[in-house]
Amino acid sequence: MSDYAIIGKRMPRVDSRAKVMGKAKFTADLKLPGMLVGKIKRSPYAHARILNIDTSKAEALPGVKSVVTGKDTEGVKWGVFAYTRDQEFIQTQKVRYIGDEVAGVAAVDEETALKALDLIEVTYEELPAVFDSMEAMASETELIHGDFPNNINVHVNIDTGNVDENFKKAHYIREDTFVAPEESYFQAEPYAIVARFDHEDCLEIWCPNGGPHMKSKPLSNAFKIPLHKVKVRKIAIGGAFGGRSEICPVDYICALLAKKTKKPVRIQFTREENTIATRQGHAMITTHKTGVDKDGRVLARETTCYMDGGAYSSTGPIATSVPFLSMEQAYRMGSVRYNGYRIYTNKPIRGMIRTHGRGFAAGLDTQLDMIAEHIGIDPVEIRLRNSRQPGEYTSTKSYVDSCAMDETIHKAVEKSRFKEKWGKLPPLHGIGIGTNSVQTGFPMGIRGGSQSFIKFNEDGEATVMSGVVDNGQGNDNMLVQIAAEELGLLPEDIHLVSADTETTSSDPGSYSQVSTFVGGHAVKIAAQNCRAKLFKVASKVLKVSPDKLVAQNRLIFVRDDPEKSIPIKKVVRISLLNFNSVNAEGGYWPKVDMKREWVKNPYGQMCEAFSFGTTIVEVKVDPNTGQVEVLEATAAQDVGYALNPLVLEGQFEGSIAMGGQGGMLTEYHEWNGGRCINPTMLDYKLPLACDMPPKINNIIVESVDPKGPYGAKEAGMSIAMSAAQAYSAAVSNAIGVYMDSFPLTPDKILAAIKSKES
Amino acid sequence: MATNISFILNGDEISYEVKDHWTLSHLLREEMGLIGTKEGCGNGECGACTVIVDKLAVNSCLYLAIEVEGKIVETIEGLASTSGALHPIQQSFVKNGGIQCGFCSPGMIMSSKALLDKNPDANHEEIKHALAGNICRCTGYVQILESVEAVKNMGGQNE
Repeated sequence: MSDYAIIGKRMPRVDSRAKVMGKAKFTADLKLPGMLVGKIKRSPYAHARILNIDTSKAEALPGVKSVVTGKDTEGVKWGVFAYTRDQEFIQTQKVRYIGDEVAGVAAVDEETALKALDLIEVTYEELPAVFDSMEAMASETELIHGDFPNNINVHVNIDTGNVDENFKKAHYIREDTFVAPEESYFQAEPYAIVARFDHEDCLEIWCPNGGPHMKSKPLSNAFKIPLHKVKVRKIAIGGAFGGRSEICPVDYICALLAKKTKKPVRIQFTREENTIATRQGHAMITTHKTGVDKDGRVLARETTCYMDGGAYSSTGPIATSVPFLSMEQAYRMGSVRYNGYRIYTNKPIRGMIRTHGRGFAAGLDTQLDMIAEHIGIDPVEIRLRNSRQPGEYTSTKSYVDSCAMDETIHKAVEKSRFKEKWGKLPPLHGIGIGTNSVQTGFPMGIRGGSQSFIKFNEDGEATVMSGVVDNGQGNDNMLVQIAAEELGLLPEDIHLVSADTETTSSDPGSYSQVSTFVGGHAVKIAAQNCRAKLFKVASKVLKVSPDKLVAQNRLIFVRDDPEKSIPIKKVVRISLLNFNSVNAEGGYWPKVDMKREWVKNPYGQMCEAFSFGTTIVEVKVDPNTGQVEVLEATAAQDVGYALNPLVLEGQFEGSIAMGGQGGMLTEYHEWNGGRCINPTMLDYKLPLACDMPPKINNIIVESVDPKGPYGAKEAGMSIAMSAAQAYSAAVSNAIGVYMDSFPLTPDKILAAIKSKES
Repeated sequence: MATNISFILNGDEISYEVKDHWTLSHLLREEMGLIGTKEGCGNGECGACTVIVDKLAVNSCLYLAIEVEGKIVETIEGLASTSGALHPIQQSFVKNGGIQCGFCSPGMIMSSKALLDKNPDANHEEIKHALAGNICRCTGYVQILESVEAVKNMGGQNE
């Protein structure tokens, strides 16, 4: 596998030069001629009926170009699935959380737009509100959405059968409940949108997005215009972490203002708006009941999770499933019953997040550690006895092909010297292990595949077109690396046109770790098809059969006789002189079970490959302050194949930061009557450079997936999740108390130490 | 209210009529089109808008434009040479993977420059301290810290 010229090398990213120079343009950097400033009027109430909206004073203010309300939206609603369309783009009847959109304004400048917001008079009738998922289910006051009894938005039920019988056979059974509040993405870039209608009445729109094609379809539906008339443009994106996955109502409002004013409109979210009015992570209450045999092998598990979904459905059915799926992929469960409930509350809308289900996963792992202690084995052993093996099926019937879960455990254990340290560390020092698995995509019907086009220019350089979007993780570089490798060019010879719905084919987007596996794969196939055309021409010139040729470093040469060569540029020109252009297409559609559906049929092949990761963390706890000092973190992931170790290590380290350091020690939202009281970076504690562990060991494990491009699966997500589990395990180990409420803030740690002492 | 101010911006003498309530980031981004300075919060929390004023790294979103009268201002646009050769800190961030999404990068690089201009031999702890006001959500800071440390060994040459 090591004879690649570009793949597998530590290659600086192609987009980094523009970014270090400050030349990369993000949405808020765009300035179009005549552009107006848009602002959003938001609800001050968590739950209220809208009785009247009077915009006349705002409209009369000089400089105001348009004011839009729900009356202008023609009642269109948003929801990821047909059965979850519960959110009007601008509310007409009720507001359901503090921050819900009630009106939009476009004006000549920001000051005028803000003044206009104050002049919009909304009359509300306040309604009783609920801010907790358990209260919301029991509430007898007005439902948040009339057609969802008990405020239950989504119920996912998975049952493999034999659960009750297997519990009866169990040697030891435990039932424990774990809780974690909401967390947020805090992408570096606050959300922003620029929209305009061009001379052909096409909507042109720029905004951070997890998939441009996933923005264009709902916008085409909402404006009742054909798909080709919605041009979602490529723009630099300052992080997503799951929080840019769907259309945002303000995308629509911005476009509506542009339509009404016939001018470009830019809306920039404040930091508070980015926290409150995009998406957040779900608060979760998770109960795991686990029965094991005398060796600690899980025979039966029953998991029930209540997720606080906030005011609207968002990605609800997906979000309700994924925390369970990650665990059923990571561990064999014997038999399992899962009930996931997503509950409406009068709080901001919850979606998918990189550390989705941190309390769910950390709870399951904590309970495994408890069981291990009970039966007298260590945390490594119980994981090895239950870890996923290659060639197995998950509980929901996904075949697991490549899987090096055990290798990630062994290597992380060896590097961290876990076995030497376990049980032998000084007081208040602890070490903990977490293991997890994530999927590379899920069934997305007609949007599950990606297609790429490649054309050669007469100078021997190539243009690659792909719908894959780069949220900051390095997808652009991944596509360029693959194209350069296959075409025999250098990365600087590849011109990438991507993430633009006018010019690129549909792509599933940057969700669920799918970009390399599907989008990268499509580019690889297109490039191979293109190379075959080059080889056909070159074989005539070099007088050897095409299968004896190699393309590398801008040359095509004979494998066994490298002196015999011809520049690729020359091959292109010969082809053109023979009336043939050099271009090709290629696509990749993962073979998933199209009948699998989140609620109705949660069984069948989920995706073609899964990544597996292990994190081990060593900590020291200060018993006077409750502060946790992380001494060392070790991250090992089965990535399939490492396309670019430099990028991959950055993903591992970023995952330790968000999943462990922030996710398990400091990050959570606080509330007062449905109002988030820490929406800013001063109050919500994100890890800083000085907070990070002094040492992070990155271990890349390669199982070389038979279906992934070059064997690649995904990079880093299994670390983000397992880091949360490892941090919690290490702190529990340090203080000798199994923690069940996350994140592990100093107050909780001090209380746990105190309760142990008494 | 508007005031005419003079200052040095990336080596050039500038005279500009600014409104008294404008922040430096507003002047740079919205009025002068220098969009390399990013605005991530507008409240001095994230450091994305960091520029250097009289050798000190400051949050330009909290710094009033009229306050730069008579001062020397450096932004990310002033680092590379006019021919496009990158400053050693920029080179190092590219080479060592110090960027991911790139939104925090200009601020991160300006904070690093303010430090290294003053203390070219800054140690690991001093670098972490100097970057404590710059939030990165992608990298976990490891490759950023490595990028800044590696500058020491580059001899201060533009590429």
